[in-house]
Amino acid sequence: MKNREYAEGFWNPYVAGVALGLVLLLTFYLMGTGLGASGAVARTSAVLAHAAVPGAVEQNGYYKSFYKTEGKNPLVNWMVFQVAGVFLGGLVAVLTARRFRPGVGRGPTAGVGLRLSLALVGGVLAGVGTRFAMGCTSGQALSGGATMVVGSWVFMMAVFATAFLAANFVRREWS
Amino acid sequence: MTGPLYLTGAFGADVSLWVAVGIGFLFGFVLERAGFGDARNLTDIFYFRDMRVLRVMFTALSTAMVGLVLLSWVGLFDYTILLEYSLLKTYLWPQLVGGVLFGLGFIVGGYCPGTSAVGVVSGKLDAVIFLIGMTVGIWVFAAGFSIWGAFATSSALGRLTLWQLFGMSKEMMAGLIVVMALAAFALARLGEKWAPYGK
Repeated sequence: MKNREYAEGFWNPYVAGVALGLVLLLTFYLMGTGLGASGAVARTSAVLAHAAVPGAVEQNGYYKSFYKTEGKNPLVNWMVFQVAGVFLGGLVAVLTARRFRPGVGRGPTAGVGLRLSLALVGGVLAGVGTRFAMGCTSGQALSGGATMVVGSWVFMMAVFATAFLAANFVRREWS
Repeated sequence: MTGPLYLTGAFGADVSLWVAVGIGFLFGFVLERAGFGDARNLTDIFYFRDMRVLRVMFTALSTAMVGLVLLSWVGLFDYTILLEYSLLKTYLWPQLVGGVLFGLGFIVGGYCPGTSAVGVVSGKLDAVIFLIGMTVGIWVFAAGFSIWGAFATSSALGRLTLWQLFGMSKEMMAGLIVVMALAAFALARLGEKWAPYGK
């Protein structure tokens, strides 16, 4: 694979890194906590499940903490609003760069069916993983990493070691 | 004014929600400009084709880490509040297991949660599917919570930092991490030349 057009037109990675670091620094300065993402998905999953089986969700050992305060919507939450901002900011960035291209990101020899099936499987695994780790790349690796948290560094090393080792088994998806 | 502003009571919960949208906006914008709205740019690191993810992440982490230390030196940030009230708590084994599952999900699914949001607004159907998968995964976690809930909160070490663990100052630890990041950038370059899976 020589022509990697999908990698062109972006910021220099070190420049992007400094920009991302300054956003994270600003977040800590303003809030005392860092960035996040998976917490918003967790709350959304709770609300979706609640629409179907409200009693079971309110009794559930994991979900019940979202329903502690009676009458308060679990989506009225810092993390959920922050992720809403991510969608907005990402959209503005995509539109101003004229980069909105409907499609499926996959290796040149991988089929759409294969890629979408694996996106689903990977999503399920990542979803379960975020709940055991209490965060994801944003909340644990980046924010916990920058504040030198032991568990966040353990998480980050485990994520990258596993992905490097497992990459060989799904190389058809990406090559 | 000395931060963290929210925890010192400079503004309330209602205002914090607007701050959240603004912060998220910047976060999403930078993620897109870094190239993180496409799964191929996120997974190329694992095939040594393009170590962009490592460069962006370690630069961002180092910038924020050093920035916080500098801000606390000049009195603009109270690091003690962070350590006592808002630092993430460590749960060693669940975070290790969560990291392994998450790492598998990352390479198989092609995204992580934040980047999948940027993928969705970039028009990527695989990002939409990944996000649906994550929602299902969290249902699975909640459904089985009676089985693995005790494990998920086990080996609790509280708010613990690397420099406390190793018995050094936070400045020294931050310096070591920056050196490690610089070494990783040099290795990344070698990795791209090596390119074991082809370019």
